[in-house]
Amino acid sequence: MSASTMIVAVIIVPLLGAVLTPVVGGRSGKAAGPWAFGTMLLTSAIGVYLMAHVARVGPFSAYLGGWEPPYGIELRFDEFSASISVICLLGTLAILFSFRYAEKELPAERLRYYYTLLLLNLTGMIGFVVTGDLFNLFVFMEILSLSSYALVAVSGEHTAEMAAFKYLIMGAVSSLLVLFGIGLLYALTGSLNMADISTRLTGAAEAPAMLAFAVLAVGFVVKAAVFPLHIWLPDAHAIAPSPVSAILSGLVVKMGLLGLVRIYQIYYGARVLDLSTFNLMLVWLGAISIVMGAFFAIFQEDIKMMLAYSTISNVGYIVMGLGLASQYSVIGATVHVFNHAIIKATLFLGAGALIYRTGYRNLTDLRGVGRSMPLTTAAISIGAVSIVGIPPTAGFLCKWYIALGAIEANQPFFGFALVFGALFIFVYYIRMVNAFYFQQPVHPEILELKEAPPSMLVPVLLLAALCLIMGILGRLPLSFIEPAVARLLGTLGMGG
Amino acid sequence: MIDALWTNLDYVGSVVLFCIGLYCVITKNNLIKKFIGINIMETAVFAFIVALGVVEGGDAPIMGSGATPPFTNPIPQALILTGIVVAVSTTSLALSLIIRIYRHCGTIEADELREMG
Repeated sequence: MSASTMIVAVIIVPLLGAVLTPVVGGRSGKAAGPWAFGTMLLTSAIGVYLMAHVARVGPFSAYLGGWEPPYGIELRFDEFSASISVICLLGTLAILFSFRYAEKELPAERLRYYYTLLLLNLTGMIGFVVTGDLFNLFVFMEILSLSSYALVAVSGEHTAEMAAFKYLIMGAVSSLLVLFGIGLLYALTGSLNMADISTRLTGAAEAPAMLAFAVLAVGFVVKAAVFPLHIWLPDAHAIAPSPVSAILSGLVVKMGLLGLVRIYQIYYGARVLDLSTFNLMLVWLGAISIVMGAFFAIFQEDIKMMLAYSTISNVGYIVMGLGLASQYSVIGATVHVFNHAIIKATLFLGAGALIYRTGYRNLTDLRGVGRSMPLTTAAISIGAVSIVGIPPTAGFLCKWYIALGAIEANQPFFGFALVFGALFIFVYYIRMVNAFYFQQPVHPEILELKEAPPSMLVPVLLLAALCLIMGILGRLPLSFIEPAVARLLGTLGMGG
Repeated sequence: MIDALWTNLDYVGSVVLFCIGLYCVITKNNLIKKFIGINIMETAVFAFIVALGVVEGGDAPIMGSGATPPFTNPIPQALILTGIVVAVSTTSLALSLIIRIYRHCGTIEADELREMG
């Protein structure tokens, strides 16, 4: 099989898997979990093959129906598509984690639909990162958004439904903005292929090009939950079942950021607008997100609420890195997309394991849990250390690069925002670790508990180990992402 | 000015429609009305994009009907067909969420729901 067939397969396999899940799962839903797990393993294998191929020969494409762009639909696999690795990894682990967790949290007749939605969500994300066509980007974004809204509501409490509804309203408006922007770009260029738009946009009228950029950017910024547009995130991410929170916080908000990267690819290549004003705005929004997200997180009692606010703060780092638009900061931001996904999944799945065993979500109630569940709390602590950005963990590298980028871009002030945010984050993780290990338990029965079952413990420990490995082997993602960033920043020109 | 508005009537119309929808989303208290607002906004964007493909005096772009060029651009219409499917599925999901909220809370007024926490 050729590499271009494999790009199609990497979308078709999970999609077919999702469609077949309710059939395979049957009424009891017993087989749905293993089936979804198998599907994701197969998808991951294809993903690994694609990654190896892109490392060997650089970006490559598949043309659906044999029609070349601008007429046909192009699936394109470049270095940014390598985020497929994190999607497959987290997807597989979250499904493994769900075996026991979903069985306890959800009624049996809903299990098969839960796995269907999870697979659809992952399909949407995989499609989002490999498509080279702007309208398909929108369609895949809708697949992943719709399944996200439903996944938030899946637990069936009334607060979950409210959170899902709030998420849906914000999500629907942002999707509309994106669609509007795509329509404008089509009117300007007569094309929907991203590389093609980029070449045709050169010399287009400035006002509509700017309007298109603005609505697309705002649409993706809502999806990414950057500060003033973040209000849907904390409830939705905290109330969803823990494996879903891991996917939402680790991956789904990143799709907004990747969308932003795609728009940048188009506009940097076309050189039709001066984006420096917009970049400055992104940097400021990012800095405010960092500080405000971390600030709100300090006051949360609910452990998952705290992690959800921390996502806003970390998205701020990435947005700031993109906005600074220097080579170091963009590399740092891109790598943080990967690393934060792994770190946040460690934390959410770890928190899920604690909630599964203890039944409590508040830090006060969870006091002393470190004595009875040492492995899970150790994994959470590693995740916590990495999200603060202490070397040699995964979070350090990216934040270091973003700080270097701030200096490189001659705006060291924003380096301070970064350090300030890290200090805030440090405070609330100290609170967490303190509650786990050093405080007297409020509920003495917590000390009698056993570790989480292996199907939950293995993903958590694996992810925690990855937090360390990604910190120590930091060159690996860097060497992968550097050529893509160089292309993005226009030193090599567009399209590669 | 009036002339410019008149020749771009389709665009002006969709902008007005969009604003009406946005007004509903922001000010209405009832969740169903809020969502109808979003539907109105969706319609506005769809109308806008379909209007982009219109060619003055263009024929329907169907082969074999004996139509003569110029043809209307079919791509925006095809895209919006997909857009409508997406909008319908969003609407059905929103309505089912609203039903579940009503079953749990006995109300779908946003301010009462906020009080219940």
